[in-house]
Amino acid sequence: MSNRKYQEKAIESLLCLSGVTAVVILFLICIFLFRDGLALFQNYSFIDFLIGTKWYPTSQPNQFGLLPLLFGSIIVTFGAIIFSVPLGIAVAIYIAELAGEKEADVLKPLVEILAGIPSVVYGFFGLVVLVPLLQNILDLPTGQTALAGSIMLGIMALPTIISMSEDAISSVPRSIKDGSLALGSTEWQTINKVILPAALSGISAAVMLGIGRAIGETMTVMMVTGNTAIIPGFPDGLFVPVRTMTATIALEMGEVPQGSEHFYALFAIGSVLFITTFITNIVAEYIKKKYKFNMGAGQ
Amino acid sequence: MSGQNNGKQTEIEVRGLNLWYGNNHALHNISIDIPKNSVTALIGPSGCGKSTFLRCLNRMNDLVKNCRIEGNVRIDDKDIYSKEVDVVDLRKRVGMVFQKPNPFPMSIRDNIAYGPKIHGFSKNEIDSIIEDALRSGALWDEVADRLSTSALNLSGGQQQRLCIARTLAVKPEVILFDEPCSALDPISTSKIEELIMELKKKYTIVIVTHNMQQAARISDNTAFFLTGDLIEYGKTDQIFENPKMKPTEDYITGRFG
Repeated sequence: MSNRKYQEKAIESLLCLSGVTAVVILFLICIFLFRDGLALFQNYSFIDFLIGTKWYPTSQPNQFGLLPLLFGSIIVTFGAIIFSVPLGIAVAIYIAELAGEKEADVLKPLVEILAGIPSVVYGFFGLVVLVPLLQNILDLPTGQTALAGSIMLGIMALPTIISMSEDAISSVPRSIKDGSLALGSTEWQTINKVILPAALSGISAAVMLGIGRAIGETMTVMMVTGNTAIIPGFPDGLFVPVRTMTATIALEMGEVPQGSEHFYALFAIGSVLFITTFITNIVAEYIKKKYKFNMGAGQ
Repeated sequence: MSGQNNGKQTEIEVRGLNLWYGNNHALHNISIDIPKNSVTALIGPSGCGKSTFLRCLNRMNDLVKNCRIEGNVRIDDKDIYSKEVDVVDLRKRVGMVFQKPNPFPMSIRDNIAYGPKIHGFSKNEIDSIIEDALRSGALWDEVADRLSTSALNLSGGQQQRLCIARTLAVKPEVILFDEPCSALDPISTSKIEELIMELKKKYTIVIVTHNMQQAARISDNTAFFLTGDLIEYGKTDQIFENPKMKPTEDYITGRFG
């Protein structure tokens, strides 16, 4: 009897320990990231970092301006949203509402597979197919542009947006849909006026997480965006090479001497990235929880 | 068997209606005449086909896969299964209130305005429709001061009356009720029953109910279904006091079901 009790206790503790470990790891990452990131500001002005327009990490004197990289990330992400949100929601509507059972059974796993492709493969595809294509079609000096990054990131954000939006749409109760149809509305009126508004919070959360994914993506953007650290204009900035925060860290981390100012500057950028994705995730969770579809007290 | 009504003008005329879900023959050769401006109750044990029959009248069964229908259903002397009939128009004419209240997750006003809006009423018309519908749905006094709050904050009974008002707002001729009180408490139930009695002056009402006292209280005619057959149809008093068929008597005296 007590033997069994000990066993239970042991398993419980083990599981608890695993949970604690995950949290501890997160905290350790935070601490190291911010410690090394903040180390930059012992000798370099925080304001210059935040509003500096030039990223010249190896010139004399060094300039660690965040803005070209931040705007690089923003324009690539913005392009990705423009591309992936309408497409993703449209696919989600199709799978959840219009596709037959068999079609949905085929489509859903295919979308999941899209999420499983390694980012370097996306990057390779972008580099050998999309980049030359954009160069030819748009007659650009180089196809390695923010636009190429946007399209690739858009494709990569699609699975997140599709699966989560589809969940949100499917979780709208059948009875609501019947109620609308019984009033003499068409299928599309029902989807557009009743189901989508009811699923809006879930869809918004899906979009936020898709954005989070796009901001944090590294390998693919590094391979297709050309990596020039210049503040891009808008919207013509889409057609020139840009450099994102993630690509900067990946490109330069291998070459900087540990403990140098440049080294700490990369950590500072890492901290900015971390905070950005952290906020995106929190907002997504908040939207999801707060507006979780709820039939109210009457049910 | 075929059911004949008693004098009043016929609104719904069903002849030889058969329905299959896949291989399951769920309704057998149903023929019935439902009179205008009256309440017709459909009773019978679970799975007897009464709800399925109800859903034939506004073609909600179209949404069910593998559902096949044969026979003739005429409403206001028009065959509702003919190819020329637009199911959207049909459902505008034949409204439906469901078992569980299913208000849309939007404001009370928008719930009512939804139907008229999709059917192209102007904004001014809609404003007066909202008040009319809520008054007819016996809900106006309770919600007049909070039309823009969420319909989901209403009680279950209020939600169900909102759903009735929402149905009235598209100005139907027939209203189908699919066990509208099964999720409600007795007080809300009696309010809905009063409302139905009031509504029959203007509308033709068909109600599916599990509650035999309810059928006896509010209906003019009653149809008893059993395993996909229409066993008996007649005046409610006659069905409850002097049933002609043995299964009907067994059911209403509580011997099964």
